[in-house]
Amino acid sequence: MTWVRTKLELDRLQSGQTLEVKLPPGEALENVPRSAREAGHTVALHGETVRIIRA
Amino acid sequence: MSQGSSRRGLFRELAAAAARAALPDEPRPVKPKPPLLNDGEVERYSRQLLLPEWTEMSQIALRDASVLVIGAGALGSPVALYLAGAGVGRLGIVDDDDVEISNLHRQPLHFTPDVGEPKAESAAAKLRFLNPDIVVEAYRMRVDETNAPGLIEGQDLVIDCSDTFATRYAVNQACCDAGVDLIEGGAVGWAGLVMTIVPKRTACYRCAFPTAPEGSLTCSQAGIAGPVAGVIGSLQALEALKFLTGAQPPLVDAFLNVDLATMETTRVSVSRRPDCQDCGDG
Repeated sequence: MTWVRTKLELDRLQSGQTLEVKLPPGEALENVPRSAREAGHTVALHGETVRIIRA
Repeated sequence: MSQGSSRRGLFRELAAAAARAALPDEPRPVKPKPPLLNDGEVERYSRQLLLPEWTEMSQIALRDASVLVIGAGALGSPVALYLAGAGVGRLGIVDDDDVEISNLHRQPLHFTPDVGEPKAESAAAKLRFLNPDIVVEAYRMRVDETNAPGLIEGQDLVIDCSDTFATRYAVNQACCDAGVDLIEGGAVGWAGLVMTIVPKRTACYRCAFPTAPEGSLTCSQAGIAGPVAGVIGSLQALEALKFLTGAQPPLVDAFLNVDLATMETTRVSVSRRPDCQDCGDG
């Protein structure tokens, strides 16, 4: 569900805008960056914070 | 104020604007858009929302849509099940028959205790269990050329799951007259077809089939393997979802012929006929 909610938030942004997602260690912290990259967005990981620049 | 001082003021504004433009972009505060779907909707529809082409606005388009399903039998069952599950906001189900025991092998909206019940009501009851967030309306009537225009009025999309050519032509005519988009389907034996129609823009059902084929048989005459209707109904539902969400292009100016005995599909191109009695310009 975390990636679905992240995807919907990204849909609301314009290209080039950044979404910051704080995630607990575990599955979501692995899945969200991977799914965001697969969707073509730029991803930077800082500890438990994922910064996603919308494609 | 003199003309000179006014001109200097203008120059100052232009210079300030140029200076601002020369500065590196400062991050502007972004006003977040409010979420359009509630938490329950996000969870219910999460698997389709995961699709890259299926956005929040796709889901809103479905929620706002009003779709009429003509027939609650072999094709109407999968069509209505998938559209209700996907979150089409208002579903109308039209059928004048009662559930018979011989329906049950291919009509998954109806169960043995429903035998003798009106199909429209039986279907609507199941669909309300499937998705209580949508509105389902049951119409116990046989669609013909006299009542079709009134039923179709105000609909965003009609899906014809009827089992006679007379009904198909009546629905096609009414949809062409009203400019309501239509998805046609038919199945018998081991084969079926599906076709999407945008009235006055793409070929209509009568453009493809100007007259009913002679000697055509119904399911009660020729028989049908249950899953054949499931496949064709599922294709109709898929076309509806593609069409309503805009997530993928629908099948227009063509029909898909599906032979499930040989597992061959054939896409047959169809053009609008200028002299078509349903959608022609004459």
